[in-house]
Amino acid sequence: MIPKATKRNKEYQLEIVKETASLKDEIGIKSCGSDNRNIYDDGHSQKLTANEIHDLKSDSSKAAYIVETLITNSNTFHYKTEFSQDKYLKKKEKKYFEYIQILKPNLRIISETLYKLEPTKVQGIRSDTLSQIITMANISCDGNHLLYDSGSNGLVAAALLSAMGELSTGRLIHMHPGNMSQKQALLAMNFSSEQYSKCISVNVYSVLRQYYQGCDTNTIEKTHDILENTSTLKRKGETIEQIAKIPKIAESDEKPVPITDESDRHLLEPKKPKWHFDNIEASNVLTEKMDSLVIACKEDPQNIFLELSKFVKPGRPFVIYYSVAEPLQNLFVTLKSQSNVAALKLTCNWMRNYQILPERTHPEVLMNGSSGFLLTGYILK
Amino acid sequence: MSFKCYKDKIDEGDTVILYLSNNLHAIEVQTEIKNKKGEMVENVFQTTFGALKVKNLIGIEYGSRVELSKGWGHVIQPTPELWSLTLPHRTQIIYTPDISMILLQLDLVPGAIVIEAGTGSGSLTHALIRRVRPNGHVYTFDFHDHRAKLAREEFESHGIADFVTAQHRDVLEQGFGADLSGKADAVFLDLPKPWDGVPHAVDAFKQEGGRFCSFSPCIEQVQRTCETLEQHGFQDISTMEVLQTELKVSRRTVSVRDLSFLKHKSVDNPVEEKPSSDKSYVVGAWPASTPGHTGYLTVATLPPAFLRKATVKPENGKSAPTEVIELKSDSESGEDKLVVDEG
Repeated sequence: MIPKATKRNKEYQLEIVKETASLKDEIGIKSCGSDNRNIYDDGHSQKLTANEIHDLKSDSSKAAYIVETLITNSNTFHYKTEFSQDKYLKKKEKKYFEYIQILKPNLRIISETLYKLEPTKVQGIRSDTLSQIITMANISCDGNHLLYDSGSNGLVAAALLSAMGELSTGRLIHMHPGNMSQKQALLAMNFSSEQYSKCISVNVYSVLRQYYQGCDTNTIEKTHDILENTSTLKRKGETIEQIAKIPKIAESDEKPVPITDESDRHLLEPKKPKWHFDNIEASNVLTEKMDSLVIACKEDPQNIFLELSKFVKPGRPFVIYYSVAEPLQNLFVTLKSQSNVAALKLTCNWMRNYQILPERTHPEVLMNGSSGFLLTGYILK
Repeated sequence: MSFKCYKDKIDEGDTVILYLSNNLHAIEVQTEIKNKKGEMVENVFQTTFGALKVKNLIGIEYGSRVELSKGWGHVIQPTPELWSLTLPHRTQIIYTPDISMILLQLDLVPGAIVIEAGTGSGSLTHALIRRVRPNGHVYTFDFHDHRAKLAREEFESHGIADFVTAQHRDVLEQGFGADLSGKADAVFLDLPKPWDGVPHAVDAFKQEGGRFCSFSPCIEQVQRTCETLEQHGFQDISTMEVLQTELKVSRRTVSVRDLSFLKHKSVDNPVEEKPSSDKSYVVGAWPASTPGHTGYLTVATLPPAFLRKATVKPENGKSAPTEVIELKSDSESGEDKLVVDEG
């Protein structure tokens, strides 16, 4: 990455490189000290001024030259220990040698990136916990899987769909409480359209209404014309007053992505919207019963689990994620008293990264302390 | 045969998991087994709640309750996770928290080709097979003849032999074989000297590169492995530890001791100096003893062949220790860029 010459803005030009340079290899370093007894932090160790460094930066084409000049003008660099010189060069490498690499997306990268950007946007599901959700739910290329997710931006759906694979014979029913499902992570995975189509995202109210009542709207509204009907559907079909009042729909929308007029118009145009058929299809899959149940919710998990576990075949696993332990503890006690689940377990994870360098191996200075909690078990007959 | 796909009912030949109030047992559903004298007798499984006639399991639905003479249990279809908890140990095994992370870190999806060494008791292998099915494949190696054979038999009886090739081979000595050169998407090593396996891994990876993971209990192993990985042009080398704790959930009633009344003289005499009421909590208690260490997971990416930059020519055989010394002397020249021969 090559910074554009202006001082303030952080714009870069990209240039394709054949290989990345390593400062240590480019700059031959002759001497080093054995400890820091001769190094004083008096602010005078660098002879160049900030302006001179800036000029150097904009004039020179080679980053190694910048750093070499910095070192030559440093009083203390050669007194530093070899390790400390290493660290200094690493820091400068970050500053003056900036590379970006374009990678093919996969679950590991997407999960780590989303978590790093903002853990709360994926409900704090760390990659180790996510990996366990997939294994504990026994996701494989066959079988139908049921997911209820109210706010991981599609991360859990992406995880399950990725493990089901392109040739999967099963379906993933992705239930969500809002008007539109969260898809950020699902889309980021660049799934083939074939694989993507194995995931049916449905509103939990509509699909359960479809399943139990054979219709995904309240029956009263059947008499209205199709346009009104559709927009009522978007309001989860619960109130009739707000029919066809699009702005109100957007107002009361609890989801982070407000529905734009454009997408509304798009949904209103066809006679029956796609999600209507999705509801029917999902409800048909539910009739066949599911091979696993995964819940990652913000609401109290108890009712959601008790309702959705009815769709799971006996002997099949379930996994419930929650960012804190208490709601899962309460559910644990409830389930224990009902004795229709086996191998009930409440777990949490601990993960630490390490710096591995010759004679400088130690745990990373910062570690992440919040993994969330998993309640896992198997549904019994 | 019950590991291949989801089943509704138990057939003869299935492995089933018997769940008895927090105890899990794996049972092979055979109506008859050999006794000590080598005669075929009726298969009866002894539990703490009494005997179970294994024959009676055939035809019943997974998840059902089975009656025992002194209680009852439930039968569940085995998953790799349940199998890890019940399998016959032939070696130390890797458990679900590490297995899950290994699957994620190796970027495994259905269709992937993955190499595992060593096979051990097959705990990880079952999970690998589940993840790469139906069009992927697991190549697993163990230098122990008998273990490799037992693993092969187990995969056969579990109905998953189509997705796995279990071989007896010392991969540190012999590599993964010419057949696998340039074939793998991912390589996993759980070996005493994983660094010696790194050059062989490089040879096995596809032109597009792939993901490497090594599981080692000791930090010294990790240090040598990381050094070797770097020499062979691996990127994003990272080491981590994953541990899982199970919380013990229970309802706890605690007494409430009121002290505020002491501020004023009481009319009651004598005053009861005892807790005044109870309060109920659902608590999740951290166990006094919990796994503190399993192993370090070291993961790395081998970039596509056109990007690979190895500072050391990967030589055939295992001359890693001398390579380290060589490297230190000529590391100034970052020029000896080398495209690894994928043969």
